[in-house]
Amino acid sequence: MTAAQVVFYGACLVMLGSALYVVLGRNLVHCAFALVATLVGVAAFYVFLGADFLAGAQVLIYVGGILTLLLFGVMLTNRIYDLKISTGAVQVFPGAVAAGLVFAVLVWIIRSVDWNAMDTGAPGPTSEPLGKLLIGDYLLPFEIASVLLLIALMGAAMLVRRRTRP
Amino acid sequence: MSDALASLGRFLPELLLMGALAVVIVADLATQAWSLARSRNLLVGLTLAGLGAAFVASLGEPGGGSLFASMIADDGLLGVLRPLFALTAIFTLLFSLRAKELDGARMGEMVALLLTVTAALMWMAGSVNLVMIYLSLETVSVASYIMVGYRSSDRLSNEASLKYILFGAVSTGVMLFGLSLLYGLTGTLDLYGVRAALAAEDAGPALILVLLLVAGGIGFKIAAVPFHFWCPDVYTGASTPVTAFLSVGPKAAGFAVLIRFFYSGIAQPGADGTFAAVGGVDWQGLIIVLAVVTMTLGNVAALLQTNMKRLLAYSSIAHAGTILIGAAALSSEGIGAIVTYLVIYLFMNLGAFLVVILVHRVTGTFELEGYAGFWKRSPLLTVAMGIFLFSLMGIPPFAGFFAKLYVFAAAVEAELGWLAVVGVLNSAVAAFYYIKVLRIMAVDPGDGELPALRFSRLDGALLLALVTPNVVGILFGGALEQISEIAQRLLDLA
Amino acid sequence: MIPLEHYLIVSAALFSVGVFGILTRRNAVNVLMCIELIFNSANINLVAFSRFIEGALGGQVFALLVIVVAACEAAVALAIVMSLYRITKQVNLDKAAELKG
Repeated sequence: MTAAQVVFYGACLVMLGSALYVVLGRNLVHCAFALVATLVGVAAFYVFLGADFLAGAQVLIYVGGILTLLLFGVMLTNRIYDLKISTGAVQVFPGAVAAGLVFAVLVWIIRSVDWNAMDTGAPGPTSEPLGKLLIGDYLLPFEIASVLLLIALMGAAMLVRRRTRP
Repeated sequence: MSDALASLGRFLPELLLMGALAVVIVADLATQAWSLARSRNLLVGLTLAGLGAAFVASLGEPGGGSLFASMIADDGLLGVLRPLFALTAIFTLLFSLRAKELDGARMGEMVALLLTVTAALMWMAGSVNLVMIYLSLETVSVASYIMVGYRSSDRLSNEASLKYILFGAVSTGVMLFGLSLLYGLTGTLDLYGVRAALAAEDAGPALILVLLLVAGGIGFKIAAVPFHFWCPDVYTGASTPVTAFLSVGPKAAGFAVLIRFFYSGIAQPGADGTFAAVGGVDWQGLIIVLAVVTMTLGNVAALLQTNMKRLLAYSSIAHAGTILIGAAALSSEGIGAIVTYLVIYLFMNLGAFLVVILVHRVTGTFELEGYAGFWKRSPLLTVAMGIFLFSLMGIPPFAGFFAKLYVFAAAVEAELGWLAVVGVLNSAVAAFYYIKVLRIMAVDPGDGELPALRFSRLDGALLLALVTPNVVGILFGGALEQISEIAQRLLDLA
Repeated sequence: MIPLEHYLIVSAALFSVGVFGILTRRNAVNVLMCIELIFNSANINLVAFSRFIEGALGGQVFALLVIVVAACEAAVALAIVMSLYRITKQVNLDKAAELKG
């Protein structure tokens, strides 16, 4: 086992272990911190895959932004509002059976497909080609993402603004 | 870069909507100090101008070819759906002026959301790239979540919105996972590239998994069973104009994505306007099962409803099932039938919701009991509702009949006669609950003497605009044929 | 070198854990965390396929946009949770006021 492999499988363990804590933990604040570990593990995967820019974006946006948001959410509303979503929360055992089945099917399919994987080696720094793609071939999705951000920002601000009743 | 510039000229409706969005946002900020009514009038006027301009710009023959480096297909399907989305938004905006739930609400965010979601529906209907499909679908979804939670001081509205966003995020997340696997199987994000790769090599069970996952996302948008759980609660919790919009716009865009994904991505056109599945998975069965289950469950559940909005929610689920019959036909004729249905559905469903809004204005209730005795209070409204409901039922000579006829004809043509029979039986079941509503309105006596209804000029104009297409639809068979014919010209078939 | 399959199996595991969480958790914010797990599993797939199958950066662009979407959804979802929380609290306070009166 090379050092890289040790790091990779270590990251796997941390990632899946903390993901399990997210779905099993009793304390939501701890769950949110476990999610940090999972997301950093995913960023490590990106590094292994040579996606340096994406790894940075993952840490900055996900861990720095989304997670902070979630923590705020947890701390401001924790234990006070438990929402039962309509699918009806399932008991742990049937839930585990269902998730296990999903995992088994996925693994079976992943193993049965001949992926024709070819490794061209780690690409160089990706920020420049990514930037060029975003203003070239992927210009429209890039612009749509900006519209999406604008409207989400506006909507979120509107939803939390305190309104006086007429 | 030159490609992007060249594409802009054929992107006019979307550009107009985005321009209107910018103007509306600035206008909303600039008029914070104005009185509610004054700023409301200005914003609605600006939005109406933007939507109207987009509607006009979207009429006419589609250009053909693809835009923005093969992100959007500027073909017949998009050409027909663009004006449909603009029209739906115009009606929604006018409805929101008359909805009691939105009385006294500031309109700034609502009109901005409406403009965004209309543009996003157009992006969705034109998407021929997996990135675009996902991103535009999410843009529509996020804007819809906010629209549903618009009355942020109302508990029901908030709960509906939360349910919607959790259910929606799960569905689209699952769909995203499916798309990522499809990308791995084919090595491309372009829908036509996906088809080429699948035609070259069968994908086997992996493709079945992809289809099931993607069906989750599309099924959520068109409210097909078993991805419909959100639908009745969201329809009830949202303000009625928003409900009306959700029942028409995103559903139509969802069907456009379904056509793109299934007909352009994992099937290829054969001789005489039929399509054949590629990749070694015969997915016709999946659509047929979805169609039958959605129709039947929607109709049976609608029979049990006592709330008008919930009834119309289940009715819209049932209609999605009927439209899916057209998708199962695997033919150009089926595509034409789907789009024709969506066009007619706009008028009949928005019409029914308009009556719901007007009734709610005077009675303040959405319960069916509140509809008793309306014949005495307003024969006109009762007759209008009768026309909308008969059209939804599919009774000739109303337009809804032709919608169903085309879909069933496409099914029979594709040797799916039994599916058409299931559809007809379902229509018979549906007649029960539509007639129940009519009976309550026309026959049941109301409580005591209630004053006659007065309509504003806007109410009259809206009713007229929605009733007319349903009644005289029969005269415009030629126009319908033409719509159907244009819609069939997909990018690769033009 | 780590083979493609290993990335995929880890991503499948992450997806399944997310599904398990969505099925069993009751708190809205917690369900949101599980949805983030699903988004991330799809992103691992996209980036891995981008490197091993396509050999181009299409998948990475997709993954980047998914992160944007996730941010928007989280922001809107939490805004709704906050708004709802405020109302339910408000409702309780109203009740208390009624009792006093």
